[in-house]
Amino acid sequence: MAITILAPAPAGVPYLRENSPDPEDGGADLEGDHDMRPAKRARHKKDVVTPGEIVTDDPQWMRGHGTFIAPASTEIIATVAGTVQKTNKLLSVRPLRARYTPEIGDLVVGRIVEVQPKRWRVDVGAPVLADLPLSAINLPGGILRKRTETDELQIRTFFSEGDLLVAEVQSLRQDGSASLHTRSLKYGKLRNGVFMSVSGTGGGGGVVRARRQVWTIDTVNAGGKVDVVLGVNGYIWISKHVEVAGGDTAITRMEESVSSTVYSSQNDEIAPETRREISRIRGVVNLLVEEGLRVDEDMVMKGYEAAIMIDGEEAGESNAYLGGEKGKKVLGLLSGP
Amino acid sequence: MAPSASTQQILLSPAELSYLHTSLSLTPPIRPDGRRATDFRPLHAETDILPGTYGSARICFADGTEAVVGVKAEVEKSTPSYVGDDEGGGEKGRNEWVEVSVEIPGMRDDDSMPVFLAAMLSESLLADGGFTGRLWINRRFHWKLYLDILLLSQPLSYPLPLLSLTTHLALLSTRLPKLKSEKDEDPLFDDDWDASVHLYPVGSAKPAVTLLVMAVKDNIIFDPSKEELSVAEVVLAVSIASHSSSAGSGRMQVDSGSGRQLRLLAVRTIDPPSRLTHPGVPNSLNTATGGTAAASLEQENSKREGLHEEGVWQPPRGGAKRKLIAGMIARVLEKGGVGEDVLDGLDAVELG
Repeated sequence: MAITILAPAPAGVPYLRENSPDPEDGGADLEGDHDMRPAKRARHKKDVVTPGEIVTDDPQWMRGHGTFIAPASTEIIATVAGTVQKTNKLLSVRPLRARYTPEIGDLVVGRIVEVQPKRWRVDVGAPVLADLPLSAINLPGGILRKRTETDELQIRTFFSEGDLLVAEVQSLRQDGSASLHTRSLKYGKLRNGVFMSVSGTGGGGGVVRARRQVWTIDTVNAGGKVDVVLGVNGYIWISKHVEVAGGDTAITRMEESVSSTVYSSQNDEIAPETRREISRIRGVVNLLVEEGLRVDEDMVMKGYEAAIMIDGEEAGESNAYLGGEKGKKVLGLLSGP
Repeated sequence: MAPSASTQQILLSPAELSYLHTSLSLTPPIRPDGRRATDFRPLHAETDILPGTYGSARICFADGTEAVVGVKAEVEKSTPSYVGDDEGGGEKGRNEWVEVSVEIPGMRDDDSMPVFLAAMLSESLLADGGFTGRLWINRRFHWKLYLDILLLSQPLSYPLPLLSLTTHLALLSTRLPKLKSEKDEDPLFDDDWDASVHLYPVGSAKPAVTLLVMAVKDNIIFDPSKEELSVAEVVLAVSIASHSSSAGSGRMQVDSGSGRQLRLLAVRTIDPPSRLTHPGVPNSLNTATGGTAAASLEQENSKREGLHEEGVWQPPRGGAKRKLIAGMIARVLEKGGVGEDVLDGLDAVELG
């Protein structure tokens, strides 16, 4: 069967208004501090407010992020759609979905959208484009090489429009825009793989800041090694692992040995088995995102193992697609034990 | 050919394009989401969701793309036609009795994409010939049908098949009030909605469905996602409909046991966005990777096209082979093929 058409799942139970009669604390749950109890908190997680909705009119609360108080009133109004969060007397609304806000040291995956005389403009999923100055990249031919005018003229041979790169946020400017750098062997142009974009930090699911954002998976079915780069901004790169040539070169000469392919836009040969495993990992990440789960090394590895197990159980040809029934089984395995 | 503005461009790097293209041209093709070549994304469908319409439907993909279609009808006086109007001809409809409008968020009504999608959808609906005949009331009056198609989400992939499937379901669920008057009287309708009749009664022919089919090298791929479309060499929108099993033609189909006979109604080529992409630079022509750049643009082009290096993206050139296009259409129409599966799947959706 080429197509599966399902009946829509019934909508979730509409959430109860906060002032619904509650025998436990006499319906005064917003006003009191009772809701610092964990049980209450878990229930409050479901409370979603929409922009313009009055969260409370009690003057004892201070307004935090995502809220607004109209002049000459005490009503706290939500400005974003999200969940209400209370920290002592501070009331803030945590958005369901937000754009990425760069922070210094973040590992991000970005796409070049504009080339300017001495810098690139990079889309990192933030409200404003990030900058990558020509002076913040490793030029081919040694780390200590001076940047020359020729480099400025040939700026497109390093990165041109549409190219993907992995970089680190070096500094932030007043308007919240980031300046990136790729001055490390870990960073640079991306090739040999697929890109996907999920929501970054801010919402419930998506990529979260973790101990490791980049790791290598030893795949099954003769797939070889696959690298996964989870950009903190929600951009993800999954690619074939390329061994650095000449592993025993001295640390000072390492730069020269890799620089010949750093700015290449030509893919290496990638076996079909590797490609299949790459799509499987992509499917796992997609599944995690659709279910609103966090995407990090732990979850992706668990999901990948579950996907392989489910695929092995099923008779017939191996199929990496994780939609419909199969996806549900994988999720069941993920949440089960 | 549909203008390329109707397939939006997404920015991909040459390395990504090359990866996708090579994966899709393997046998069997490896799609970025792991589907088989003929697999569709699973979708959720329901009908009769809008109380104020004569028929409506909603389809939602797992990735969040969602479309709603509402059908409204009103009685209109037929203008007498001068050509071939006829006594015996009877229930002949006219194309202007159906009005299709498509709305896509973030686009103006007169942008090329909604206009083009509306034209393609109405073309395929009208192409089966029998559709407008259903709107005939009597020689002086007819129903005028307004199909309002609304895409609720951003178009994550080319939305034509989604809109077409939703329109199909909405038309199947459309009911019109029962006619009480006779012959050429002013029409009078039964005001009991329970007595209303389906525009497409159970067992009659079904409205057309448009499917998007693309090809990379010799691989034929159905329901392409946005990334897949961006490396497609040929993209076709194929409209099909099934013959009614009780066709009045009198010809008995020999294999009437299997029930369904597919009919090709329309084929449109869609300009694949891959033609507008930048080619990748092979390592041997890239100064940053130790190659030597060509002196001029012409030299570079001729050198690059002379090379056939694996792993370097080259935008497709030239037209589609006739054999390939014929093969794509055959794959849709073949017995037990994708066309049948889609129509069977749509039949299984509960109406009302």
